[in-house]
Amino acid sequence: MYDILIKNGLVIDGAGTKAVLSDVGIKDGKILAIGENLKDGGQQVLDAAGLVVSPGFIDPHTHFDVQLLWDGAAKPALEHGVTSIIPGNCSLSLAPLKAEDRKTLIGMFQQIEELPPAAFTDAFEWTWETFSDYRAAIEGDLSVNVAPLVGHSVIRLWVMGADAQQRAARPDEIEAMQDLLRDCLNAGAVGLSTSFVDVDENARPVPSRFAQFQELDALCAVLGEFGRMLQIVPEFYDTDITIARIDQLAELSLKHKIPTTLSPVFDNRQSPNNVPRTLARIEEQTARGARVWPQMQTRPIDISFSLLRPSLFFARLPSWVKILRLPVTERISALRDPATADKLVADVGEDGGERLMGRLIVRGGGEAPEHLVGRTLGDIAAERGEVPARALITLSLENDLEIAFLAANGGHDSTDRIGPMLANPLVHIGASDGGAHLTSFSTYGDTGYLFSEFVRKSGALTLEHAVQKITSEPAEIWGLKDRGMLKTGYAADVVIFDPSTIDRGIERPVFDMPGGGMRYVRDSIGVDTVLVNGQIAWAKGAYTNAQTGQICALA
Amino acid sequence: MTLSQQRRFTTPEPDETLEALAARACPDLDLELAIERIRGWNLHIFLMRRPRGLLLGGDVVFIEPPLV
Ligand SMILES: [Zn+2]
Repeated sequence: MYDILIKNGLVIDGAGTKAVLSDVGIKDGKILAIGENLKDGGQQVLDAAGLVVSPGFIDPHTHFDVQLLWDGAAKPALEHGVTSIIPGNCSLSLAPLKAEDRKTLIGMFQQIEELPPAAFTDAFEWTWETFSDYRAAIEGDLSVNVAPLVGHSVIRLWVMGADAQQRAARPDEIEAMQDLLRDCLNAGAVGLSTSFVDVDENARPVPSRFAQFQELDALCAVLGEFGRMLQIVPEFYDTDITIARIDQLAELSLKHKIPTTLSPVFDNRQSPNNVPRTLARIEEQTARGARVWPQMQTRPIDISFSLLRPSLFFARLPSWVKILRLPVTERISALRDPATADKLVADVGEDGGERLMGRLIVRGGGEAPEHLVGRTLGDIAAERGEVPARALITLSLENDLEIAFLAANGGHDSTDRIGPMLANPLVHIGASDGGAHLTSFSTYGDTGYLFSEFVRKSGALTLEHAVQKITSEPAEIWGLKDRGMLKTGYAADVVIFDPSTIDRGIERPVFDMPGGGMRYVRDSIGVDTVLVNGQIAWAKGAYTNAQTGQICALA
Repeated sequence: MTLSQQRRFTTPEPDETLEALAARACPDLDLELAIERIRGWNLHIFLMRRPRGLLLGGDVVFIEPPLV
């Protein structure tokens, strides 16, 4: 007798094999049998007629580190079919971290995650310093599987304190970092993450960027003892630098026999040769035996924002960021002050923001006046006789800042170009940034978009290939033991979905973060049931609070 | 497979200054010219970064112009 028997589904095993009509029998959290007409019966029988039964999806680039402390399902990732996540990317993890360094790390995390301050003060208790104690803090309540990276920036912070953002490490400090990393890997870390791009809340480079290559090399020697992953954030805006990073990764991969991954890699109209050149270099390095995996996201880049919160949209406008960081009442006064507003408008450039802001679209879903929703800021500004940057300020003030704008066409949006890239065997589908940039865009639903846009609409990938790219491939690349395939003895992480409808929902704001904090989410469409380690974690639109998630065992 | 030629770069030595790096990377050039070249080839450090020109241990520093 199976615990759960899934009947009559179109089984896609994740290995790229053609779909077959079959049953899947599950017992004790594992797949016990796959075959036609399994006879043994099940305590619970799920009818999957007309639906696909596939391995759970794996998301290799997330920042759910903080959210996992109050939400072990990493909502809404799980309802999209994501059953395993890798947090701790981009040099930042919540451990190892001394109590005295918490404030410093919160600043860095807020910068990338855009979590409200209450998330760090009210939503959980800081009970850990070491990596194994952080693991213990999240482990009991997980509904999703987790394979956590440890961040280079926090390792540096632990060993060097404030000097981590000042200088090169001494040999004794590098040795201490090696010991610390070894402890983390012994406690189950899936690898090390580092960043060459990220900054803290004061726009100062994060600690990992102060490390010499020799320091990274020494840490990779420790990764080599375990065969674990190195993840980096490369300077993705410049192809020459990205290629230099690929060469560094290849050297580290070959020398220490480790897998490496760079994330993200974007396609843009302005630099159409970026991805082709990047992939050509990856191909050369792969032929030498190096393991270097470029991660590419499925979704186009867009950013939503209002003047209620700082946003990525203003990354290159420090005077705006300064104003947006003020408490709301002070911020409104500052925006009302003519001299301040004049300066903000002037800082956007001589065109008054025509180029940067003219094509912004007023978003619905919030408090925005009906008659403005869907119109461009350039159009509204012209009507009002203002330049777009001025109209952005006045419209926001007229609506108590409760008016949001969408910056679409941020790039990576040509389905015809991106489809073949995602299908390329050298490309690792990922880079969702799940759980980060909460108030700028939804980082959930990239898997649904893979099926709707690149399987159904453009046909760049077959259904089986798309499933393989987000199941067995990531499991293999990251060394997640016995996951990513529907195979006897493997963990029963299973998604049952409708291949003709699976998609991501529209992006909408919700206020479910601690302290009523806002984030953008997308609901799942076409996902029927999600099982994690043999238990139903989400079905027919509802979470079950299964809490059967695990810290992933590693191969 | 042999590697195709890509733009050559170096990485800073511990606590290396721009002057020292320029002298190491372009030993045949007059120091002032070498510094000027390194600045011009590395706008990601010397133009786009805040604070401008802050040399970080992890930086990729190009020691030649883009290949065409
Ligand atoms: Zn990230």
